[in-house]
Amino acid sequence: MKSAVGDAPASSFLARNEFLIRRLHSLSGLIPVGAYMVIHLLTNASVLQGSVMFQKLVYQIHGLPMLVAIEWLFIFIPILFHAIIGVLIIRGSLPNSGTYKYGSNYRYTLQRATGMIAFVFIMVHVFHMHGWFHFDSWLIAARKIGGAQFWPYNAASTAARALSSLPYQIFYVVGVLSCVFHLANGIWTFGITWGIWVTPQAQRWATTACLVFGLALSAVGLGALGGFAYTVDVETAYERENEMYDERVKIGDILPDEHKRYHPPAAKASETAQAPTYLNFEP
Amino acid sequence: MADSHHNPNASHSARSFEVRILRQDGPGQPSYWERHRVEYEPEMNVISVLQRIAAKAITADGKHVAPVAWDCNCLEEVCGACTMVINGQVRQSCSALVDRLLEDRPGEIELAPMAKFPVVRDLVVDRARLFRALTKVKAWVPVDGYYDVGPGPRVSPATQEQSYPLSECMSCGCCLDACPQYLKVEVERLEGESAADFEARANNEFDRSFVGAHAISQAMLFNSHPTGATSAGPRLDALMAEGGIQVCGNAQNCVAVCPKNIPLTTSIGRAGRATTIHQLKKWFGA
Ligand code: HEM
Ligand code: SF4
Ligand code: SF4
Ligand code: FES
Repeated sequence: MKSAVGDAPASSFLARNEFLIRRLHSLSGLIPVGAYMVIHLLTNASVLQGSVMFQKLVYQIHGLPMLVAIEWLFIFIPILFHAIIGVLIIRGSLPNSGTYKYGSNYRYTLQRATGMIAFVFIMVHVFHMHGWFHFDSWLIAARKIGGAQFWPYNAASTAARALSSLPYQIFYVVGVLSCVFHLANGIWTFGITWGIWVTPQAQRWATTACLVFGLALSAVGLGALGGFAYTVDVETAYERENEMYDERVKIGDILPDEHKRYHPPAAKASETAQAPTYLNFEP
Repeated sequence: MADSHHNPNASHSARSFEVRILRQDGPGQPSYWERHRVEYEPEMNVISVLQRIAAKAITADGKHVAPVAWDCNCLEEVCGACTMVINGQVRQSCSALVDRLLEDRPGEIELAPMAKFPVVRDLVVDRARLFRALTKVKAWVPVDGYYDVGPGPRVSPATQEQSYPLSECMSCGCCLDACPQYLKVEVERLEGESAADFEARANNEFDRSFVGAHAISQAMLFNSHPTGATSAGPRLDALMAEGGIQVCGNAQNCVAVCPKNIPLTTSIGRAGRATTIHQLKKWFGA
């Protein structure tokens, strides 16, 4: 059934492997990206149980070996793959929910809109909190323009400070809700893509399950944001975190690591000639 | 013309209504809107409206124009030839009743050609790609041969029940026109190109673009037929090739607009499962 045309341009790599790439895109949305997002939001929501609880979980994560490799291999690269293929998919579609006003068609359009919002949100969010890269010269530059505002060994206090302004709070609420909708609706389409829910009854059941999941995860995500923005007292949290750090260093649970600790600008007074500002620390 | 027939039960009193038509003189030409006025008669459908317009061939502004071209055949919603976009929604014009349309939008009807197929003229489109997709997925039972192979296996009642609704597809293309993942592909014939070369080039383009819900559903229909299943593998291969099932984005407009109520999204789910298993088998044998 091959076409008789000899001079037809050869299909690109993306086109020839369209099926596998789309399935990989679908899978990557759920595992690892979606699974990571659920764990991430749940971890963050632990701040509702106090800054100490959140700091404990952050120590657990930072106890993992080769954290940078894990970050890139299981989080950043899959997100970038999913996002880049996602943008290509969006470019090849013609949303028409203005004409064909069906629930599933609105969700189709929203899946694309929330994907684009999630892309912008995740890029900015990772820069804002984490900074993307760990080397010193980069971090110093990033911090000058408001990036890398999260210090893992002063977790709750620095996250709370980063989320203290209203514009950031609004940005995070929109971003988190977009990501949650995108994941919940994505699980629903994932089930059809892979042939898990096939019949209309099964699909209706899945719609309800995904709705419940989405509402629950929204509560977790908003809880985390509200927790950081409104329940953390930055000063006391900061003192507690420093006590935890000293204790952990003393019993040999962690190695001293000033890179992961926040040092208020006030400490500048004791600045030494070579050390970058954020490395300053007064025991 | 039809005052004496005026239906006193009709909910609206207007004696004439306006028909806005998106016209196009030929392939690749610009399209333009044209207004026509049609005297109301009871129980008209859009085909009879188009007949009145063609008979008069005068616009609402009194300009003489070439009659509007359209397609139709069975006049009972089984051939799909008359499919067009009526008041923004794709459907068959033979079963689009004027009384209903004027209830939804008083005084006016809007007609446009299908949005995803190349326009031949006015409301006539070329749906070659739709049929090419059926060829691509081998939407038939392979029984051609030189000798009698005897009776085929029996089809179980359960399979019959599942298959019958799928067999009602009339290849109208509504599911494609409403699909946000199905984009228009228009191949223009080159200067001096033979018909065969042009067709081959067009088919090559079509094969790279989304096959569409109708073809996915037909592939499932013939894969569940005991004799058709002998080509199940090649059909799944076709569904996994470029432009295959993976292009579907699960908007489910197809199932919502299908005039035959074919469970297209169930077929898409089944095809999703079948292609998953097919790929695993290809990798790991068995
Ligand atoms: C928080 C991060 C994200 C998560 C958890 C996530 C998750 C998912 C999941 C589970 C699916 C379902 C796959 C399927 O239908 O088979 C999906 C689909 C999709 N995602 Fe994402 N995604 C994320 C970010 C993004 C970004 C940044 C973009 C691009 C701008 C994007 C674009 C898409 C698109 C276009 C689809 C639909 C694919 C289709 O229906 O064929 N996603 N996503
Ligand atoms: S599946 Fe339905 S909408 Fe699509 S071509 Fe067949 S009859 Fe028409
Ligand atoms: S479910 Fe798939 S085939 Fe049907 S309208 Fe949506 S994208 Fe198109
Ligand atoms: S003329 Fe056959 S479906 Fe309308």
